Amino acid sequence: MKVLESNAGLLSNLEVLELLRQRGAAKGPLGGSITPVEYKVYEYLIETPAGTQTREAIQEFVKEAKTFKLMEAERLQSVNLRPATAVEVHLIVEDCDERLSSEAVDALIETVERIIPIPPEKPQEEDEVVQEEDGEGEEVAEDRE
Amino acid sequence: MFVLTKFKHELRIAPQKLSLPLLEAITSEIQSLFFDKVIKDVGLCITLYDVRSVEGGFVFPGDGAPRFTVDFQLVMFRPFIGEVLTGKLKKCDKSGLYISLQFFEDVHIPEHLLQQPSVFDEDEKLWIWNFNGNDMFMDLEEEVRFRVVQVKYPTIPTEQDKGAKPFAPMEIIGDINADGLGLVSWW
Repeated sequence: MKVLESNAGLLSNLEVLELLRQRGAAKGPLGGSITPVEYKVYEYLIETPAGTQTREAIQEFVKEAKTFKLMEAERLQSVNLRPATAVEVHLIVEDCDERLSSEAVDALIETVERIIPIPPEKPQEEDEVVQEEDGEGEEVAEDRE
Repeated sequence: MFVLTKFKHELRIAPQKLSLPLLEAITSEIQSLFFDKVIKDVGLCITLYDVRSVEGGFVFPGDGAPRFTVDFQLVMFRPFIGEVLTGKLKKCDKSGLYISLQFFEDVHIPEHLLQQPSVFDEDEKLWIWNFNGNDMFMDLEEEVRFRVVQVKYPTIPTEQDKGAKPFAPMEIIGDINADGLGLVSWW
């Protein structure tokens, strides 16, 4: 084995997800010709913002994000993580205080929220518990009536 | 998180695979050779991106299988230093946190890279971040956002103690001591 080029390009989460879909990951680990590691990556990625992204949205975002003069890795992270708060932007962008004004940070968040689709909702167990409790609460209230 | 890496490898295609179209036979051979394997300083191999060229097909004397020199690209999991990733908290002990990315389990956040000041609760076996007098528990199975500090490829040990934790060919050292890092639910 010979490594010709160790870094032939970065891939966004969406590109990997699309590749795995092409290989039949959606059918499950037993349905297609897919290996367990590919299926695990697929399961991980489907829950990240990449799960709802489209190629067109990413291209549009990259075009619009040019005004912020982000580096390639920072653009990639913005797409992969879909920052929705200023604190997340500060994490992704190096020396954010010096390079982006607080208006620019807000504008970046606005651009992200406008173009990149909302990530898939995670099944939250806590919410279900709360709902159940609510249900019980109502029953109690009815009993009292 | 994921990068493309170009490889060149001489593949031996077993005779029973010769009934398949050549590209399919090569794909299945690459799959069994590379997928889910760590290559030192290159990363964990996830999947095949494309096959760029196939050459040869020589059968050596005394061997019933052809050998092809194949140029191909693989998708590798190799986070860059400073990349922010999210995973699930799997285990806590005195040395720090252990985080799972589902497909990759060897992420460690050492004690000194936790939020300051953090203390280890011996009764609960959990780490607690003391933030302005509030105790913030780091519960298991919670989502954690961390920053990659180092990616290590330890050498394979020749001898291993009984009961030692299984050898990990690739380890990620993470840091959560910054605003926005730590449990996703905190921010």
